[in-house]
Amino acid sequence: MKKIDIVAYKCKKCGKLHFPQHDRCLACKGREFEKIAPQGNAKLITFSQIFNLPWGFDNRFIFVGVAEFENGVKAMGQIAANAPADLKLGMTLKPTWDVVRVISGENVYGLKFEPIR
Amino acid sequence: MRPVAIVGAGMIPFGRRDDDNLMDMLAYASLNALDDAGLGDKGVQAVYVANMGAGMLNHQMSVASALVDRLSLLPAAAESIENGPASGASAIKNGLLAVASGYYDLVLVVGGEKMRDVSGWRATDFVASMTHPTAEYIYGITLPGMAGMFTRLYMQKYGVTREHLVQVAIKNQEMGALNPYAHVESRITHEGIVDSWHSRVNNPPVADPLHLYDVCPVSDGAAAVILAPLDRVKEFKKTPIVIAGFGQATDTHTLQERDDPTDLKAVTLAAQQAFEMAKMKPSDIHVAELHDAFTILEIAESEHVGFFKKGEGAKAVEQGKTKLGGQIPINVSGGLKARGHPVGATGVAQVVDIVWQLRHELPKERQVQNAVNGLTVNFGGFGNNVLSFILRRGDK
Repeated sequence: MKKIDIVAYKCKKCGKLHFPQHDRCLACKGREFEKIAPQGNAKLITFSQIFNLPWGFDNRFIFVGVAEFENGVKAMGQIAANAPADLKLGMTLKPTWDVVRVISGENVYGLKFEPIR
Repeated sequence: MRPVAIVGAGMIPFGRRDDDNLMDMLAYASLNALDDAGLGDKGVQAVYVANMGAGMLNHQMSVASALVDRLSLLPAAAESIENGPASGASAIKNGLLAVASGYYDLVLVVGGEKMRDVSGWRATDFVASMTHPTAEYIYGITLPGMAGMFTRLYMQKYGVTREHLVQVAIKNQEMGALNPYAHVESRITHEGIVDSWHSRVNNPPVADPLHLYDVCPVSDGAAAVILAPLDRVKEFKKTPIVIAGFGQATDTHTLQERDDPTDLKAVTLAAQQAFEMAKMKPSDIHVAELHDAFTILEIAESEHVGFFKKGEGAKAVEQGKTKLGGQIPINVSGGLKARGHPVGATGVAQVVDIVWQLRHELPKERQVQNAVNGLTVNFGGFGNNVLSFILRRGDK
């Protein structure tokens, strides 16, 4: 399985976690950050099954959601599901790193979550 | 700052305008506003053009320079303003500040978007380009998708149901059917979009839990206003409408970084600033145009601007408080839901609709009786850049 290649930023002054990157801390305006990787599984915060997709997608629908990793990093990702009933807010998801989109002929990698039943 | 009034307002019907290009639409709306003001040969000194995506959608840049030439307003100052779906209100704010500072006396603000030049597939991608490029866009998230995620949380937290959203859709299309400027001029019924065998075809899910009739259409359109200092309003023929207050606030680019993703902080702050400047409170407002790109947003914004407590917006819809004749009529124009959402035009169109309401010049079936104060909310991105205006009838 490919390594999850996202980096979150922890403010060295107040400890607030940021993802994506900021140049100043959202809370204390500090400018120094420690780079940290998301850890463990993730908890589903919210999601949508999207049917009217943007240019570049051939799928009938995709599921996109936001989840929180065990170390507090929150990130968006695609979710492997067939119907909204497959998912429940608060459920545990296993993160993987895979192709999420093709842009200008290039594979773009990102988070793909798999529900843990 | 000196007080500023709107002395002219104009719009063109929104919809699919295959025979017009972007410049045609901007020009027609501008001429309507200039004529409405009875400006004659008085010179417009500056032009602010709101447009979000002519570069991507129409392969045209520097639209403001092209427009002043087209309208023979040379050598007026001209610039284009891009601020996502809040471009319209941003352009008015810039025009307002230019007049309020005393630098210019007569300013034209026009907003327009030509979105139907491209397929729905491309238009969806164009709007999604507002999202964070590496943390959101790559996943195929769309603005309806963002609204779907928001709706799911709002439903869980405040008990909003699909039925509440349906009531907003029916109300706004009912009003759109009376508005000759609206993109969608057809009424819908509960049976047609919810509880019949054909509702599955008529009203499919777009971004669960949102369905087709929860989402505004992709439209072409333009709207314009003329701004002048309050001490010059006697030179114009129409009742002046004073910009009594405005506010603008921003929030995080991504939804995931908000402590509470159901809290539209930028809406609250923008409205608070506008109320403070206007020395008014929510109960002073007689009519409002809220940015209902999705039905859930009308409910959420009605709470965040202070018309209703958090969690009570849906109940207000249920009780008819937001209908014409209700406690606070919202989106009497049909809103984005029915008037349409040509993104660069919307913020200006909202103000034009409130101007017409406050002048009392609309037909009886869509006029809020004795309206003196009105409010707008123009919502950029997914609530990461929001502007609010409070307008007041100038002879009151």
